[in-house]
Amino acid sequence: MEQLANDNMYVIDLGHIDSAAEIIFELSNMLDSENARNKKICLKLGNVDLNQAQLLSIKSLINGINSILSSVDTKSTETEKVALALGIIVSNVSAENSTENIPAMPYKSAEELKEQMEAENTEIHDVMQNSQENNHDENINNSDIENNRDLNSLPNIQENTDINEAVQNKSESFQTADNTAVEELTHNENEQKNELKDELDIIFGSNADKSSIFQMAIPEEMYESKEGITDIAVPEYEYTKEDIELESFPTKYIKQTIRSGQVISYEGNIVIIGDCHPGCEINAFGDITVWGILSGIAHAGSGGNQKARVRALKMNAIQLRIANCYSRRPDSLNTVYIEKTNSFTPEEARIVNNEIVVFKIND
Amino acid sequence: MAGRVIVITSGKGGVGKTTTSANIGTALAKSGHSVVLVDTDIGLRNLDLLLGLENRIVYTLVDVVEERCKLKQALVKDKKNPNLCLLAAAQTRDKSSVNAEQLKKITDKLKKEYDFILVDCPAGIEQGFQTAIAGASEAIVVTTPEMSAVRDADRIIGLLEAAEGIESYKLLINRVRPNMIKSNDMMSVEDVENILSCGKIGVIPEDTGIITSTNRGEPIVNNEKSLAGRAYLNVARRINGEDVPFLDIDEPKDIVGKLKKFLSGLKKQGKEQ
Ligand SMILES: Nc1ncnc2c1ncn2[C@@H]1O[C@H](COP(=O)(O)OP(=O)(O)OP(=O)(O)O)[C@@H](O)[C@H]1O
Ligand SMILES: [Mg+2]
Repeated sequence: MEQLANDNMYVIDLGHIDSAAEIIFELSNMLDSENARNKKICLKLGNVDLNQAQLLSIKSLINGINSILSSVDTKSTETEKVALALGIIVSNVSAENSTENIPAMPYKSAEELKEQMEAENTEIHDVMQNSQENNHDENINNSDIENNRDLNSLPNIQENTDINEAVQNKSESFQTADNTAVEELTHNENEQKNELKDELDIIFGSNADKSSIFQMAIPEEMYESKEGITDIAVPEYEYTKEDIELESFPTKYIKQTIRSGQVISYEGNIVIIGDCHPGCEINAFGDITVWGILSGIAHAGSGGNQKARVRALKMNAIQLRIANCYSRRPDSLNTVYIEKTNSFTPEEARIVNNEIVVFKIND
Repeated sequence: MAGRVIVITSGKGGVGKTTTSANIGTALAKSGHSVVLVDTDIGLRNLDLLLGLENRIVYTLVDVVEERCKLKQALVKDKKNPNLCLLAAAQTRDKSSVNAEQLKKITDKLKKEYDFILVDCPAGIEQGFQTAIAGASEAIVVTTPEMSAVRDADRIIGLLEAAEGIESYKLLINRVRPNMIKSNDMMSVEDVENILSCGKIGVIPEDTGIITSTNRGEPIVNNEKSLAGRAYLNVARRINGEDVPFLDIDEPKDIVGKLKKFLSGLKKQGKEQ
């Protein structure tokens, strides 16, 4: 595999790998490199068919290091379809040409892209006969881009502008977050817990008055209720606007084992490369992605986002909470020790009909 | 009706406080009493694991103290025994989250509604210990027949005698191995009693079944065949005021007896798998 780095682009070639799980594994290792930060990532894939959940996971993994998945090079039509739906530039040049040739479009430098964008913006101006002369006014630019979208002529341009902004914004906040985040959050745990419990109150019915909330929450009722974690086949899943909104949360990237008693809370997505041991708690406003074994408590969408998900290479969470839903690991699944292998099938938990359901992310 | 608050303590770590709490609690509940187990080992909780209730915990002792939930909400009902419930410790906090006064308030409330409140104490003699004993009027001091554990038990008994609320305390001698005692490699139960000049409420043999039962999240008293399980059932009866003779926990002496025991052990294991 090769990693070509120019100023702003970073190419990761995983063309030789033919399973989604391994791609995710390789990628998580590779993204550890400093060079991959604050870049537009071009991902070269081979014949692998990736589904939405998988590509979304890869995307959030990359977002986690303040980079953007800007383009995907794939021979699979399935992957291509999914990528396009997520607004990622797709090229399958390698299918036609030899792989040595770097495809022209996604590898442009930032300046080139900017130039191209500006040029094309002006074109649209003409087309729309917009009387406004001042191209440099941001607002106008933005609205024009919106229009572009409507016209469906240049869907990728907007993505690119966003990238530049996003990368800048994020690199600031990330500096401070980074490694100290864990300690910081553990110290803040008091407040965090408060938040969590507030959230939990919602489980028991937020529109009821306090006393009746407690009435409803008497453990017998709650604990005896459904055991939400099951493995069933993945139904077709529509990609909605809210999903895309979810992607715009900032992402915290943590590479360490989260141990018993540790609390990670973040008002955004959390990506953890490592295992989350029993007794830990992960709370995120957005998605939680664990590239390892998730055995503690995970609360995604702790701000109420029902679309939030929890993903893990191995889902063993003692409790899963998404927004206001709660589920616990079935008693029958009392595994003392899970062998660490490279052949896990990633799993994803999300809300289906007000219940948390765990899906295997199958190839 | 006022329930009894009993603290299970030891001084030395790892001698079997949590195992004892889970088993006595389950045994008392099996005999029809209402029981609350309170885990005060904040940050190092284990009691939920031994009972197989970890996946049910939403609120903890700390949440009750910090008034994020009502006491009733934090009581997790046992899977099998409706008479038994657990007030779990928070795993993500430390001992300073609850003080003696706060715990006493909770146990005082609980004893109005439940027959027994068993408090699983953390190891050590620091704040965690002082907190755990605050609401209790009785104590069970767990020790093993080892010099170091006995020394620490002695220290604890001294502290219990000085404590205001504790009216009585009894010894529970755990992990006893009769064969080692016979070969003079282990202190006898009487030795321990004499050194500590304190009466005993139970003698529990060393039993590998305890490890399996811990891993499975099911107290050993549910297994009537186990010697340790029966010993714990007897402790519960003694707590209830019954006069129960101490079990003969002797291991078979001769080779044939040993072999028989070994084989039956194997069989049991085979069945369990
Ligand atoms: N009678 C016994 N036979 C065999 N093993 C035992 C026995 N009693 C306890 N153990 C084992 O000893 C270990 C410690 O037990 P336990 O956790 O109950 O001790 P503890 O006093 O609560 O520890 P801590 O001080 O850490 O809270 C456990 O692994 C348990 O399985
Ligand atoms: Mg213990």
